[in-house]
Amino acid sequence: MGNKLAVLAGDFLLSRACVALASLKNTEVVSLLATVIEQLVTGETMQMTTSVDQRCSMEYYMQKTYYKTASLIANSCKAIALLAGHTAEVATLAYDYGRNLGLAFQLIDDVLDFTGTSASLGKGSLSDISHGIVTAPILFAMDEFPELRAVVERGFEDPRNVNLALEYLGKSRGIQRARDLAKDHANRAAAAIDSLPDSDDEEVRRSRRALIALTHIVITRAK
Amino acid sequence: MMYVSRGLSRASRRFRGKIFGEPLSHRQATACRNLLPCLDSSLGDDPSLKVLGCRHISSWSWGLPAALYSIRHHIHHHSASIVEEQLDPFSLVADELSILANRLRAMVVAEVPKLASAAEYFFRMGVEGKRFRPTVLLLMSTALNVSIHKPPPDTIMGDTMTAELRVRQQSIAEITEMIHVASLLHDDVLDDADTRRGISSLNFVMGNKLAVLAGDFLLSRACVALASLKNTEVVSLLATVIEQLVTGETMQMTTSVDQRCSMEYYMQKTYYKTASLIANSCKAIALLAGHTAEVATLAYDYGRNLGLAFQLIDDVLDFTGTSASLGKGSLSDISHGIVTAPILFAMDEFPELRAVVERGFEDPRNVNLALEYLGKSRGIQRARDLAKDHANRAAAAIDSLPDSDDEEVRRSRRALIALTHIVITRAK
Repeated sequence: MGNKLAVLAGDFLLSRACVALASLKNTEVVSLLATVIEQLVTGETMQMTTSVDQRCSMEYYMQKTYYKTASLIANSCKAIALLAGHTAEVATLAYDYGRNLGLAFQLIDDVLDFTGTSASLGKGSLSDISHGIVTAPILFAMDEFPELRAVVERGFEDPRNVNLALEYLGKSRGIQRARDLAKDHANRAAAAIDSLPDSDDEEVRRSRRALIALTHIVITRAK
Repeated sequence: MMYVSRGLSRASRRFRGKIFGEPLSHRQATACRNLLPCLDSSLGDDPSLKVLGCRHISSWSWGLPAALYSIRHHIHHHSASIVEEQLDPFSLVADELSILANRLRAMVVAEVPKLASAAEYFFRMGVEGKRFRPTVLLLMSTALNVSIHKPPPDTIMGDTMTAELRVRQQSIAEITEMIHVASLLHDDVLDDADTRRGISSLNFVMGNKLAVLAGDFLLSRACVALASLKNTEVVSLLATVIEQLVTGETMQMTTSVDQRCSMEYYMQKTYYKTASLIANSCKAIALLAGHTAEVATLAYDYGRNLGLAFQLIDDVLDFTGTSASLGKGSLSDISHGIVTAPILFAMDEFPELRAVVERGFEDPRNVNLALEYLGKSRGIQRARDLAKDHANRAAAAIDSLPDSDDEEVRRSRRALIALTHIVITRAK
């Protein structure tokens, strides 16, 4: 019954979400979040069914990451703005914050899977790579060491292949470049908040500072 | 088709000659033939055949004396019941259904190829199923085409508004079908089903994960389409349906013995799993057309009762198959431990059957024992009777709709009533 009950539970949550969404009586918001569901599914499917070319493509990876991780938070931020009756510009800033925060989060997640709580390599759970999921650090490393691609193509069922990939990763700047990209997205998220229309209200300002604090936390967290 | 010519020659013998006084011109006969396609094959080229009750002729003033209108109306009423027997509800909307089918296929296109083939699996030509629900919804759309605030006919604005409403109602049909298929995909995963609609199930072909994802995908597309109708009441209605579908499936999976032996629980579950979707989409059709709450409720009642009747006969057929006798059906429900109406009725008459049910049906001997009791009981007949009762209520709902002179409206209503008969008398 394990899988079945899980599927049913998921459907149940989805249906309750639909009803709750409908009760907001805002069809644009319904549309937005229905699109998120679609993108979550698309992202998951992208991860399941990649060709080798796609698996080695940073562009494909970022698109999949947007769908799987960033889309939900980006579009719900936008929905928040729409419900408050804001302009399209403000709604877009909210969206940008969510999107960049989500991407930054995932990129650091990728790094931590290799480094764990230590700054050095190999202390992480290595769960991505053992499941054959190629993430940003490896993709960056492939940039510097084209021969790493052949290793990736062989797949990672063989633990020796995993170790080989880790060697290349260690020699490369892959980890650092992934962190840099994460920082870049975190900065954009903060910039979106800074671009919001001014406010004198202390609560408003404090919440904005908190949102910016989050963009730091997402980068500096150790797990 | 035999019925048609028999019925018509009966009708024409009654009405030919003196009633209208004037034979129809060839043009008039052709026009009527085109407007009443179900009569088409029998009219032949005989222009002297008085066509029965064709409203459109009266508006074109081709010289029928005014006094004859009331008679014509009376004749029309008779002819309606004759025509009703031969009316094929499915062919009335066949053309519109192909348009919908094409739009549906376009709506489930996905950018990831694997997802695309999974999502469109049951929308491909040949496996769309009976398309029962879209048929009902399209017929209901026409049946409700009664002017509450109808724009003047034949004006550009009038035609545009009518066309736009139709597209929105077609959208309900598409959305309903997507929700339905999504639930089928997940149900097959939950039931470990190998086949569906005569082909392998999606989970069998592409695995559970892709089947689950495809179902989610269809659901999300349905939600987007729903949102684009910009009618929050309709969104609410169909969101509730999704919830009820899940509740119904959960009810089926997680019953206590008491619940499994309860007719009330069974009917509630059946409403959720089968009738809710068609009932609420019928209601949505009415709401989109701007009808009153009363009319919307009638539409809902039709769908609900039709759905319940359908499921009850489904239950019976699972035991009887195409034969009227017991045990020739697939017995798929009982072998999966699903207790349906016939057994519940039988338990009424034979309380000892409950003990058999409680033991479960993994042992085929228990199945046979249950079938024995069923055969001795009036379970099958009582289930059929209950189905007929619901079918009648569905027909009554249509009869209670506000009157209309429009022939298309009346024909669609006859078709909806014909469906209530088909649902009861079908053999599979």
